[in-house]
Amino acid sequence: MERPLIRDIRCYWRSLRCFWGTSLAAELEYPLNAAIEFVSVLGNLAGSLFVLQLLFAGGPSLGGWSWSGALVVLGLYTLLDGFTTCVLQPNLSRIVSHVQTGTLDYVLLKPIDSQFWLSARTVSPWGLPAIAAGLGLIGWALAQGGPEAAAGLRSPGAVLLPLALLLAALVILYSLWFVLAALSIWFVKVWNATEVLRYTLVAGRYPVSAYPPALRLLFTFVLPVAFLTTVPAEALLGRGSALWAIGSLLVAALCLAGSRLLWRFAQRSYTSASS
Amino acid sequence: MAGPILQARGLSKTYRISEKQPGLAGTLRHLVRRRHRDVVAVDRISFAIEPGEIVGFLGPNGAGKTTTLKMLTGLIHPSGGALQVAGYEPWRRQAAFLRQITLVMGNRQQLIWDLPALDSLRVNAAVYGIAEPEARRRIGELAEMLELGAELQRPLRKLSLGQRMKAELLAALLHRPSVLFLDEPTLGLDVNAQARVRDFLADYNRRTGATVLLTSHYMGDITALCPRVLLIHQGQLFHDGSLADLTQRLAPCRQVRLELADLHPAEAFAGFGVIEAHQGHQVRLLVPRAQLTERVAVLLERFAVVDLEVSDPPIEELIGGLFRQRGQP
Amino acid sequence: MSWAWRVARALLGSQYALMLEYRAEIALWALSGVLPLIMLGVWSGSGAGAAAGLSPQQLSHYFLAAFVVRQFTVVWLIHVFEEDALQGRLSPFLLQPLAPLWRYLAAHLSEQATRVPFVLLMLGVVGLAAPGVLWWPSPGELVLGLLAILAAFLLRFLLQILVTTLCFWSERAAALDRLLLIPYLFLSGLVAPLDTFPPAVRRLALATPFPWMVDFPARLLAGEPVNVALGFGAIAAWCLLLWPIAHVLWRAGLRRYSAMGA
Repeated sequence: MERPLIRDIRCYWRSLRCFWGTSLAAELEYPLNAAIEFVSVLGNLAGSLFVLQLLFAGGPSLGGWSWSGALVVLGLYTLLDGFTTCVLQPNLSRIVSHVQTGTLDYVLLKPIDSQFWLSARTVSPWGLPAIAAGLGLIGWALAQGGPEAAAGLRSPGAVLLPLALLLAALVILYSLWFVLAALSIWFVKVWNATEVLRYTLVAGRYPVSAYPPALRLLFTFVLPVAFLTTVPAEALLGRGSALWAIGSLLVAALCLAGSRLLWRFAQRSYTSASS
Repeated sequence: MAGPILQARGLSKTYRISEKQPGLAGTLRHLVRRRHRDVVAVDRISFAIEPGEIVGFLGPNGAGKTTTLKMLTGLIHPSGGALQVAGYEPWRRQAAFLRQITLVMGNRQQLIWDLPALDSLRVNAAVYGIAEPEARRRIGELAEMLELGAELQRPLRKLSLGQRMKAELLAALLHRPSVLFLDEPTLGLDVNAQARVRDFLADYNRRTGATVLLTSHYMGDITALCPRVLLIHQGQLFHDGSLADLTQRLAPCRQVRLELADLHPAEAFAGFGVIEAHQGHQVRLLVPRAQLTERVAVLLERFAVVDLEVSDPPIEELIGGLFRQRGQP
Repeated sequence: MSWAWRVARALLGSQYALMLEYRAEIALWALSGVLPLIMLGVWSGSGAGAAAGLSPQQLSHYFLAAFVVRQFTVVWLIHVFEEDALQGRLSPFLLQPLAPLWRYLAAHLSEQATRVPFVLLMLGVVGLAAPGVLWWPSPGELVLGLLAILAAFLLRFLLQILVTTLCFWSERAAALDRLLLIPYLFLSGLVAPLDTFPPAVRRLALATPFPWMVDFPARLLAGEPVNVALGFGAIAAWCLLLWPIAHVLWRAGLRRYSAMGA
C-alpha cells in the first residue's frame, strides 16, 4: 500500500498533466493566435525598449540603475507577463463564469483541492513567446553588461538566490491574481479587478527606485511590485541584499497563505449563501 | 453496511437576506443602514433513505428543493439539524465522501465545450484517481448502457442536447458513486431522450445498487422511476411515501365517468357527488373515496350504464392545485 | 430632426441608467487607466524630461492631462459587439429602424458620463498626495481641450468600428484590436511626450492617427503650445479617410451576417 501523501501527489500530478494536455488541445484549434501573440510580444518589447531609451536620454542611469540593469528588470517583467498569459489569465478569469453559471458547484464536489483545480485547470501556450523573449532579454542584458553585471551568477550557489526570488515573484503574482479573482464570489462583476491589476503591474517595467518616494512605498508595501521585478533583478546583478531577499520570501509566503485563507473564507461564504 | 445511507434529522437552512430598494436612493440608503430579513428555506425536515432506493424530490420552484439537494451534497452548510450521507457529514466535503457521490444538474455542464467528451472523461479519471485501463473499461461499459459511441470523440458543441446529457451522465458516474443526486436531469430533452435517460437510470440502479435522488419537473420521470417521493412545500416535508399515497392524500375524491344509455337531467346525479360535467349521455362526477364502492353500486343499479370509468385526477394537477391553494407563485 | 433628438434623448437616458447599474465596474475600469500617472512617476524621477526641455511642471501637467484624455477616450465597442453577435442579440437590433452603432455610441457616451465622478476622485487623490500638482486650465483651453477629447474619442470609435466589422469574418477580431493597441500605447504620447521622441520617430508618429488621440488634446489641456487648427484638421482628415472604409465594411459585414442565417 502506498502512503496517502505519495498517492495524493501522484493523483495531483496526473490531474495536472491531464488538465494541461486537454487545454492545449483546445487552444491549438486556433493556430492564428500564435502569429498574433508573436507579433504582439515583439511589438510590446520594441515599444518598451523605445520608451526605456527615451528615459535614458537624460543621463546614464534611471533611479541608480544602469541601462543593462534596467533591461534585466524589463526582461523579468516580460517573463512574468508571459506567465500571466500562460497560467493566471486563462484560469483565474474563469472563476467568475463558474460563479455566474453555477458550475463552481461541480468544482467544489471534486475530490481534489478546489484552489488547485481553479488555478491549474488550463494552460495557454500563447504566453510562451513572452517568456522566451523575457529570458532572451535577461540573458542579453547580462552578457552586454560585462562580467560584473552577471555577478549574481558566478557560482552555482549564487544562481539559487535569483531563482528563489523569481519563484517568490511568481508566487506573489499568483496570489494577487487569485485573491482578486476569488473576490468574484462576493462581487460577481469584480473580474475587472484583474484587469486593473494587469495595468498597474505595468509599473514593474521599471526599477522601483525610479519612482518618487511615495510611489516607492506604495509599490513595496501595498502593491508589491518591487518584489516582482526589482528584487530578483538585483539578485541577478549580484546586488541582492539579505534583507530584501528575506523580505521577498516572507512576502511570498504571506501572500500565498493569504490567498489560501481567503479561498477558505470565500468557499464558506459561497456555500452558506447561495441558493 | 446496515442502516440508511442517507439520514436527515431536523435539517434546516435559514438565509439572511439584505434588502435593498431599487434605484440610486435605495442603494445609498442600503449603504448607510442595512436591513436584514431571515428567510427559512428549509424548515426542520427529517427523512432516511436506504441504500439502493430511488427517491423523487417534488416541489415547486423556491420550495427548498434545490437548497435541500445542495445540503445533501455538501454545497451548502445547514443552519440546523443533523445530516449523514454515506457515513459522512456532507458539508466537510472530505475527498472520501466526494468519491462516493455525484451531482448532475440538467442546466449546468461540467464537460468542456470545445473538446470531445473523452478528453473531459480523462480529466475526471485523473481527478478521481481511476487508473487508465480501468477508466477505459468503465467508459466502455457506461457508453454501452447509454448507447453512446463515436459521439464521445466529437467536440461537445457538435452534440445534440440529449447526447450531451448522456455524456454528462457518463462523466458523473465514472467514479462509481454510491449516491446519485440528479437535479432536473431531463430538462429540455425531447420525449424520446427523456425516456432513454430514465431507462438508463433505472438500469444503473438495478445493476449497481446505487441510491438515486432526483428532482424533476416532469412527472413522467417521477412516476416511471420513483417508488417513493418526498414532497417539499414551503420548506417543509409535506409527504414522504409512495406516489399513490400522495394522490390519495391530495385527492380525497375520485373521478367517475359514466356513459348512459338514456338521457337524465343533472338533478338525478346530485346525491352522488360533485357534478363536474354533464352533457348528453356523458356524466363526470367527483365521489369521495370512502363512499366510492357504495355509490357506484347504486349508480349501476339505478341507471342503464353503458360504460364506467373510475380514475384519479392527474398528479400534476393535484400538486399544482396544492401549490396554488397555498398561495405559491 | 425632432425624431433624431427624441431618439438621442431616449437612448442616452436609458443607457445612462444602465451604466449607473454598472458603476462599480466602471470605477474599476477608471482605476485601470492609471498608466499615465505611473509614467509621470518614472519621468519625474529621470532627467530625460529636462533633457528634452520639459520642466517638471510641464511634465506633470502633460501626464495628468493625458490621464484625463485617456479616461474619456476609452472605446470598448469590439468586446460588446463580439458578445452581442455571438449570443444573437444583434439580430433584434438590426430589425429596428436605427443603425445599431448609434446604440453603442450612446452607451459609450453614457459610460463616460458615469466615469466623471471617479476621475474627479482620482484627481483629488493625486492632488492630496502631491499638493500643487493640479491646475485649472484657462476657459479657452478647457473648451478646446474638451472638444479635442470628444474629437479624439470619435476618431478612436471610428477606428474600432473598422476592426469590429472584421468580427463578421473572423472570430479573432478582438485579438487584432489588441495588436492595434500597441502602436496606440507607444505612439500616442500616453507613455512618453512626443517632444522627447527622436525627430525621425516623431515624424513617423505624427503620420499615424495615434498622436492626435492623446498628445493633441493633452497638450491643449496642459496649456502647451499647439497648432489647434492642424490638430482638429488632422482628426477630421483621418475621420474622412476611415469613414467610407468603415461604411463599406459594415455593409458587407451585415450582408454576410444575414446570409449566414443570423
